[in-house]
Amino acid sequence: MLTLSGITKRYGGLLALDGVSIEFAPGEIHAVIGENGAGKSTLMNVLGGFIAPDSGTGSLGTSTPLPFGDPRRTRHLGIEMVHQHFVLVPEFSVAENLALSAIKSLSGALDLESATSKHRTLAARLGWTLDFNARTGSLPVGIQQRVELLKSLAAGGTVIVLDEPTAVLSDEEVSELFRVMGELRDEGRAVVLVAHKLREVLAVADRITVLRNGRIVGSTLADGTTEHELQTWMTGEALSPIASSSTIAGEICLEARGLQVSGDRGEEAIRGIDLVVRHGEVVGIGGVDGNGQVELAEAIVGIRSSRSTSLRRPEQIGYIPQDRHADALALTMSIKENFLIGSTTGPLLMPKAVNKGARSLIDKYNIKAQDINATVGSLSGGNQQKVVVSRVMERQPSLLVAVNPTRGLDFQATKFVHTAIGEAAQRGMAVLLISTDRDEIRDLATSVHRLEGGRI
Amino acid sequence: MTRFVPAIILILLLSLWAFGVNPITGCEIIARGAFGGEIGLSRTLVAMTPLLLTGLGMVIAWRAGMYNIGGEGQYIIGGLMGASVAKLHFGGPGVILLSTGLGGAFYGALAGWLQVKRGVHAAISTILLNFIALQILAWAVTGPLQAPGTTASQTATLEPGQMLAKWSNRTDLHSGVLLAVLLSFAVWMLLSYTSFGFHLRLTGENPLAARAAMLNADRIRVQAIALSGGLCGLAGGVQFLGTSGVIDVGFNQQWGFLGIPVALLGGLNALGALASSFLFGALMAGTQSLSRSVLGGDLLIFVIQGAAVLTFLAMRKRERGNA
Repeated sequence: MLTLSGITKRYGGLLALDGVSIEFAPGEIHAVIGENGAGKSTLMNVLGGFIAPDSGTGSLGTSTPLPFGDPRRTRHLGIEMVHQHFVLVPEFSVAENLALSAIKSLSGALDLESATSKHRTLAARLGWTLDFNARTGSLPVGIQQRVELLKSLAAGGTVIVLDEPTAVLSDEEVSELFRVMGELRDEGRAVVLVAHKLREVLAVADRITVLRNGRIVGSTLADGTTEHELQTWMTGEALSPIASSSTIAGEICLEARGLQVSGDRGEEAIRGIDLVVRHGEVVGIGGVDGNGQVELAEAIVGIRSSRSTSLRRPEQIGYIPQDRHADALALTMSIKENFLIGSTTGPLLMPKAVNKGARSLIDKYNIKAQDINATVGSLSGGNQQKVVVSRVMERQPSLLVAVNPTRGLDFQATKFVHTAIGEAAQRGMAVLLISTDRDEIRDLATSVHRLEGGRI
Repeated sequence: MTRFVPAIILILLLSLWAFGVNPITGCEIIARGAFGGEIGLSRTLVAMTPLLLTGLGMVIAWRAGMYNIGGEGQYIIGGLMGASVAKLHFGGPGVILLSTGLGGAFYGALAGWLQVKRGVHAAISTILLNFIALQILAWAVTGPLQAPGTTASQTATLEPGQMLAKWSNRTDLHSGVLLAVLLSFAVWMLLSYTSFGFHLRLTGENPLAARAAMLNADRIRVQAIALSGGLCGLAGGVQFLGTSGVIDVGFNQQWGFLGIPVALLGGLNALGALASSFLFGALMAGTQSLSRSVLGGDLLIFVIQGAAVLTFLAMRKRERGNA
């Protein structure tokens, strides 16, 4: 039994955790849910030993106190974290990344084969086909997460903490992951799941605890609750469904015939597809990660070269890339400067206009930011994504290309992004929505394709 | 910066002590050499000028993520270009100065082109280009640019009309000083208040985001390092036209390398570089005086500079770590 009691953590004026007491039992999948900024990440970081709380205690079993603020000793106790943002070396092969955490000694020869034998067995048992010699950075995020999972599973912790593990996975991969989580529980481990998709949480968790504003507002067995009740706990209000997009499609905005795109390694990522997006239409492209989604988006936007028999696209294209940290934001630059990315007009930046523009976007899109001169990295994930979405929407492009625009976002932020896209389409914007989230495609798209192996 | 000033004074005192100089007398000599009357102050400003120009060059390149280590080579090529134009009697100091900037810009752009088209990292290519520039310098001053009718390895001395204007006959203060100070404000404006400067910084901070914003990151990189090389070439030009009037094999004097600590100490900010180049200019002028009374005194500047940059980086790292 892993027990945390009275955990309080304060960041400046913000009370991130306010006297949180929680127990994680062996043989149980315990989901911790809440909006972005509710304190989930802080709680998990306390649990993993990355953050020392201001007050409160923790213990494993009856007598072992948790070494707060010491991640190495925490791991020795058998508490394993699977991070939302991967901690892999992109230049290393999969086998090298796995060996990195499995090899205990710095001396002696490096035998990748035996160092990763456990991982290979595990991967085989999970039915995962994984190229152990591939360069990790070249793999799609969905596959990289499997590497991350294997790393933690092979270390054999008694407590496995999964931070938003499904954010990047397709439905098939999610049910596969849930099967694995079930096995881990049946082996008698405590499985902690940090998540925000209620349907998934209800499907896999045994116990659900809801955080709001740093406090626990409810804890229940999964069997005794409903999606609606959890939603109310999380947001303090019941959410209304999003107005569905208009189905009246206008003139053709984007037309591609026989589009072929190469990936980073020269492989054929998109192998000849036809695609038409009309004004006022949201064309959804579903499918499992790593089937050419990013390459398709980049080719349409025009930042990756492509071949086609014909390609007609508008001048003004807005682009919401799938990885906001890598492709959309400069985390070390200020919030107001991040609003300018892709939206500068004219050769000069007038400080007054820049400040005014930033403040009006913050107001209009309800972005929680104290100071427009603070780095955008200091915002929560949801607010960072709002920065990206708002600056793209503000330019009113005739075509919007969005790749997984709500990945890792909570209800409110997801609803915000969906509403923004839906309303823009109603005003006549053509939208190409490439998403691995089936619910998102179903909620937003007026027509749906499925991308598989670079074909539709 | 407030905690850094006492630190640098401590370094100065310790270095003086290590060189076997009474720290108090040493400081007095340095202060008099750097700020003593118009002669001392002008010496400080003249030493500051090439430091500031190469420092600004580093600010521009490094902010764009182009680690230009080739200030030295760009400085030399700039100087040689100026000497060539001067030899042709093509125009006055303005034209010669312009050619030094263009020479340095060309040499910087070469490194940029090598990185974006051939995949050679600028940090590597610029180091190698420094060696090539040194050889070109040795060849030029004993070959095509050698002063006619002499055996000395140096160019012909500039005619008075080709030199930069001087304030007065008592000091070395030349108009290049003003140019450098004005350029530091220009670079600051460029980086902070223009779209080009913003895109340059974005490319340095996150090239993928620049790409996703449909910017041509490669072109921005080449432009940045060309500008950087141009400023370093200009530093060579200002030194040639303002101070030496002649180019010999020892022309470079490490000015290109010293631009790196100046830029780092200035926090990779143009106005910061103005402040740090003044500090180092003063130390340089001051230690010149010291060298007249102490053996190896002119080496002191390098010891202090190295120690100061290391201290600065260590302090900044620790402050970040605490945050």
